[in-house]
Amino acid sequence: MSFASKMPSLRIDQSDLKCKNGCDYFGNPQWQGYCSKCHREQMMRQRRAEKASTNPSATLPKPEQKKPERGLKLSSHSSFSKFEEKRLRQSETLKKANLLKFSVFKKSSSDDHDHTPEKRPPEFKIPAMVFEGMKHDFRARFPALAPQVDRDARVFVHSFIMDVIKCANVMTVDELSERVQRQYQRFMKHMDTSPHFGNVDSDTKELLLDFVEKHAMTYLHELPSVVFSPSGTDDERLDRAMSERIQQLSWVGERHLECKLDRNSAACRQLLYKAISELLGMDSAMSPGGKLARVRRCCRHVLALCGAPASADDLLPALIFTVLKANPPRLVSNINFVTRFCNAQRLMTGEGGYYFTNLCCAVSFIENLTAESLNMDKKEFDCYMAMPASIGGSAWAAALSLCGCAREAEEQLAAAQALLREARDVQAQAQAVHDNAATFEEQIVKKVQDVLSKTPLEIKPRRELPQFGKFKSSAKPLIDLEPSVVPKETNPEPSDQALAQTGTSVQQPLIDYKDPPIDHKETEAEQPRIDSRVPIALPAPPLTTKDQKEQQILTVDTSSTEPEKLNILGFEVIDRPSPKSPQNLDQNWDLKQTSSLELLTPSLLGFTPFDSRSIDELMTPDEFVSDHLAPGLSNINYDIDLSDFSGDNSLAEDAPKAKDPFSPDGIKKFDPFAPQPSTFAETLEKFNEFSLVDAKTNRPYDPFEIVHRNTDPFSAGLAVTLPQQTTDPFSPQQKEGTSILDDNNSPTAACLLPSPLLPQSSGKPA
Amino acid sequence: MAREFDHLFKLLIIGDSGVGKSCLLLRFADNTFSGSYITTIGVDFKIRTLEINGERIKLQIWDTAGQERFRTITSTYYRGTHGVIVVYDVTNGESFANVKRWLHEIEQNCDVVNKVLVGNKNDCPSRKVVVIEDAQRFANQMNIPLFETSAKENINVEEMFLTITKMVLRSKLEMKERQNVTSNETVHLKRGHKTKKKCC
Repeated sequence: MSFASKMPSLRIDQSDLKCKNGCDYFGNPQWQGYCSKCHREQMMRQRRAEKASTNPSATLPKPEQKKPERGLKLSSHSSFSKFEEKRLRQSETLKKANLLKFSVFKKSSSDDHDHTPEKRPPEFKIPAMVFEGMKHDFRARFPALAPQVDRDARVFVHSFIMDVIKCANVMTVDELSERVQRQYQRFMKHMDTSPHFGNVDSDTKELLLDFVEKHAMTYLHELPSVVFSPSGTDDERLDRAMSERIQQLSWVGERHLECKLDRNSAACRQLLYKAISELLGMDSAMSPGGKLARVRRCCRHVLALCGAPASADDLLPALIFTVLKANPPRLVSNINFVTRFCNAQRLMTGEGGYYFTNLCCAVSFIENLTAESLNMDKKEFDCYMAMPASIGGSAWAAALSLCGCAREAEEQLAAAQALLREARDVQAQAQAVHDNAATFEEQIVKKVQDVLSKTPLEIKPRRELPQFGKFKSSAKPLIDLEPSVVPKETNPEPSDQALAQTGTSVQQPLIDYKDPPIDHKETEAEQPRIDSRVPIALPAPPLTTKDQKEQQILTVDTSSTEPEKLNILGFEVIDRPSPKSPQNLDQNWDLKQTSSLELLTPSLLGFTPFDSRSIDELMTPDEFVSDHLAPGLSNINYDIDLSDFSGDNSLAEDAPKAKDPFSPDGIKKFDPFAPQPSTFAETLEKFNEFSLVDAKTNRPYDPFEIVHRNTDPFSAGLAVTLPQQTTDPFSPQQKEGTSILDDNNSPTAACLLPSPLLPQSSGKPA
Repeated sequence: MAREFDHLFKLLIIGDSGVGKSCLLLRFADNTFSGSYITTIGVDFKIRTLEINGERIKLQIWDTAGQERFRTITSTYYRGTHGVIVVYDVTNGESFANVKRWLHEIEQNCDVVNKVLVGNKNDCPSRKVVVIEDAQRFANQMNIPLFETSAKENINVEEMFLTITKMVLRSKLEMKERQNVTSNETVHLKRGHKTKKKCC
């Protein structure tokens, strides 16, 4: 400081600028007038004196005290003030500065400012993440081991990391390496002695050691300059030198090394490419074990490259070649890192150790590569070496880049294939769905057909004059009628219920049915609606509207859902009733009341050809002969047919009621399903109606059965159109196909009869 | 100990290129009579387990590249080696002449190591160049057991490996005894080291 006081003087003698110590170097006021070297020595002496006197017992500040020592080692200077020390460090390397952040070191240096070197530095914390990851990994790798083992491992890793970080500042790399090896041994010993590891076999212990090594080193690896290319070594410089050298040697080809590689062989290129990728991946592995594993995989590829059986005589040259072509980043640092901090036992033995040794040999060979070692002329060698690095080895570089491209192409091809497969799957699934839908549709169609075929509607015109008025007035006339009917025919009702259960198909017909009873005019108006909803919907307004009960309108939703079926059923008839019904309504009513024969009479509307045919089959020619009443009757019949198609059930209620009292009146059977062609259907329907009527007239007692038989022949006559209907033997088929009817437990004939009636009744309440 | 072996020995095969090192190794490790063969990991790295005097010994045999140009760099192979098998080709005089260099190499890299001298390719008398007398004399001079083997005909291979293994085992057991005698000393040293660490 006295020197500083001299500063203001105008002239400063050169001797004043020189070191106080008398050496010929210039001094510096910052260094208390000493030159840098002498100042350091001075500081060192002071520090020692301090340490000896004041601070013998402090164990924790140990790192602080060691710092300067380390500085000594690094710079081979005698003594630093802490302040300068810090400055020096800052100027040293960025890496080192980073290290300070991590280690205790930085803290202590900041403490230096406070001139409280003895102050205990805050504990360096290892991120909890490290141990979380460790815990997770442990569970994944050693699920069978006791939690104490896990704990011990973590505790060890913690102390290990802390120890290394502390020592990293004060030890040379070799010392540190030794210390790390001792740590491994310590852990091994701990595993042998600790009761926690009592039931752990030796193989698992080695795995545990690997595990510990991996996690400790992975963390330490990330700390700059601690274990990986540590400060104080020239690993980094060697890395650069090696990289440059390899680049310079890029002209070295397989023939120089006498290894049997074929550049033109795709398999060979592939293997070399894989080996190189593994070697390049070595740098990205964090732990020594990971790096070793990479080397192992690389060498296996190289071995495969040499062809089997390969000996070390082949392996080493091939490996050298691979290293030359790969030019792995930070190769020297990586090798040194593994050599220093991998468990020594592992390096000396085992496959990984063997291959790593080979790699070391390869690297040292490349380092010392001369013309002699390549068996070539010195001049030629020099020539090659003088050549710009970019020229040499272009052939292999091209081959390898080709390999890379090929690999990329392969990957993309694989991806494309995966996509294609996916697309096919989707397509197949779509097809499956489509098929499903188709089969479902078919099934539905078939079911509906079955139901319809098994439950043909037989509509008996009802004549209940007294009640008729009531029906008109109220929307639910049928209910009133029902009680009267019920006693007569119990069976029809249950069947009706069953029909009602069938679902939407039944419900809609019911609705339609409701409409007609209200008014004839209304029904007419409604008819168009119905048509609009369901093209096949059958308005049964005319006669029925008066009788209401007799009306048997079968607008089957099922038919609407599946137009095909409707066609089959011959619902085309719909068109007819609307014109007919209004005309005939009043007249028919009267006629019906008079006699069943009248009802049976065929309509004169011009369906004669079919009628005649049907008549022949039905064996009721006489009846079919049209009277003046006939047209009205025909209309009625027509309606009935429609009702049968759509919903037997709906008609059922009314029909039985009407029939029972008016048994003589015509009973209508509904084969209508049969006529698929529309033109035929119309005629057929009429035909059926007529036939039914005839049959009924002929056989008043069992109208239903008779009707049924009649229908069979019709169907036969119509054979092409209505196979199902012909097969309708009521009892069996109805039971099978129409579960609804079966549920009612009604005999088949009964079912048939009530079914037409029931829908009406059910429809009305609904 | 649930370990599958009691000792793990690392053996090294050295010798000129083309004397049949790999073939010897292959013959020994892949030999059918031995059920204890564990795994084949390439030709250069073989493992076999033997049983000698009731002790299971796992042999790990490292093959080395014999080319002249690699000679200077093979020192890393010697680390932790228990025994070395020096191979020459009985049909190749030069390979026998090089044995001396190889032995010198070993001297330089290992302190105490067990060695055997092996003359391989001893299956074609007409082509034999190195007579056994010369070899034996040399072996006696160097105090090394000599074997003439044929990997091709499987002659003497097993015996040779057994011998080197026994030698290694014996020296290891001796070492152990010596260590037991001086165990107190080592403990003391360790303690001293620890205290030293604390000091600094």
